[in-house]
Amino acid sequence: MTLKLGRHEFADDATLMMAIVNRTPDSFYDRGATWAEDKAFERVAHVVGQGAEMVDIGGIKAAPGAEIDAAEEKARVVDFVARVRESFPGLVISVDTWRASVGAAVCEAGADVLNDAWGGADPELADVAAAYDAAIVCTHTGGVAPRTRPYRIEYDDVVAAAIADTVAYAERAVAAGVSPASAIIDPAHDFGKNTFHSLELTRRLGEMVATGWPVLVSLSNKDFVGETLDLPVGERLTGTLAATAVCALAGARIYRVHEVVETRQVVDMVNTIAGRRLPARAIRGLQ
Amino acid sequence: MSSIVRHVLAAESAQGRPERDGLSPRRVVLVPGVLALLPEYAGLSDPVAELRAACLAAVSWLTGPVEIVADEQGRRVAEHLLVSTGSTTEGAGSTAEGAGSTAEGAGAEGDASYLVVANGSACRGEKAPGHLDERSFAFDAEIDKALRTPDGAALAGVDEALGAELWAGNVAGLRRLGGLLAGAGVPVVDYADDPFGVQYWVMRWTCES
Repeated sequence: MTLKLGRHEFADDATLMMAIVNRTPDSFYDRGATWAEDKAFERVAHVVGQGAEMVDIGGIKAAPGAEIDAAEEKARVVDFVARVRESFPGLVISVDTWRASVGAAVCEAGADVLNDAWGGADPELADVAAAYDAAIVCTHTGGVAPRTRPYRIEYDDVVAAAIADTVAYAERAVAAGVSPASAIIDPAHDFGKNTFHSLELTRRLGEMVATGWPVLVSLSNKDFVGETLDLPVGERLTGTLAATAVCALAGARIYRVHEVVETRQVVDMVNTIAGRRLPARAIRGLQ
Repeated sequence: MSSIVRHVLAAESAQGRPERDGLSPRRVVLVPGVLALLPEYAGLSDPVAELRAACLAAVSWLTGPVEIVADEQGRRVAEHLLVSTGSTTEGAGSTAEGAGSTAEGAGAEGDASYLVVANGSACRGEKAPGHLDERSFAFDAEIDKALRTPDGAALAGVDEALGAELWAGNVAGLRRLGGLLAGAGVPVVDYADDPFGVQYWVMRWTCES
């Protein structure tokens, strides 16, 4: 399906790198490296230089922690979005938020995508996306509250649950006025899930792709990779890329990543193996 | 073995250009049998863009029925170039032709345009497909001279055995080209280079006989 991400459109065979840019002092991977606005801006420039088509700007870490109210979240992201918008007009700007009020403010500042990592916790977020002709990422969390860790959650069939919830969310967004080309589904690895759930979602991602909605995967350095390989944060790149390859083969379209270059190479390699992309330049044996 | 397939440049006929007759000069084009020219081997960027442009320019210059002189792979390249320049294939038949026919005179070749698919050695460097063989340079230089002069007799005498050792492409076709160049003037050279350690030529001749 052709993707319409705010003011940007992409062909139906395009894959996109969505680089994570945290405006937080405490996210699990970068531990505040881009908390300062200038550092965050440098990160944006860096990932754009690496070829990222999108950035995902977040003002609140996913894990539990100090309460960040809407005013503080806006203070962290709205002006920053405006600055990025002005400096990088060709870049797709996504904002990771579950709050409709924050969504409206960032769309006003130039955001193209609302990445609702918490699966519709604020039902008015879809209305905001519709009002601003923005795209929305519809995730599956199993119904947990924002910023909570999974605890003894089980599913009869985690993939069926992820499909049912994300597709229902996407259909609800479209009914609210979001363009059908602007609703994206995301199984949300590790959100409301244990490692076995995330592994099964990875293994069966093709079932989500088969729904016809474009699929986003957020795998980067997550705990399911760490638990699978018994590796701490900082040593999970290889495992992340292996999971990325499986998702790419299944047909995922958007990859939310810390490492742009490595992920792009894996996605391009896999899609070329799959026959969905041409080699960059082929002359060996063909001279 | 070489073969001949007849083609018609339908687009040119449709544009009202005069059909060839027996008195028209014969046009002959040489292109290399580079598989990277084929669409099934396309990449995101074209490693043979300059060569491709030269081939298309030369092939689009051909008029009337075009006979292909090529081996099996070369014929695919020729057909792709012809289709790319607006021709359609007429008659599926191909005629097997051995190297022994290379000495035929021009009169026996009829008045069609000819598209010859052949190239020089593939041993012109350490990274060439056939690795470096110093004999390649003299071998290709002699052919280059014969093409540019043109010297049909020299071409007709190209050493097939040595050509095989040097991984030359369709030496039988080069020998046959010697016969086709009777009455030919100095060629237009669209391309002459060895970018991958393989010697390519794209040339066009007008033959008055």
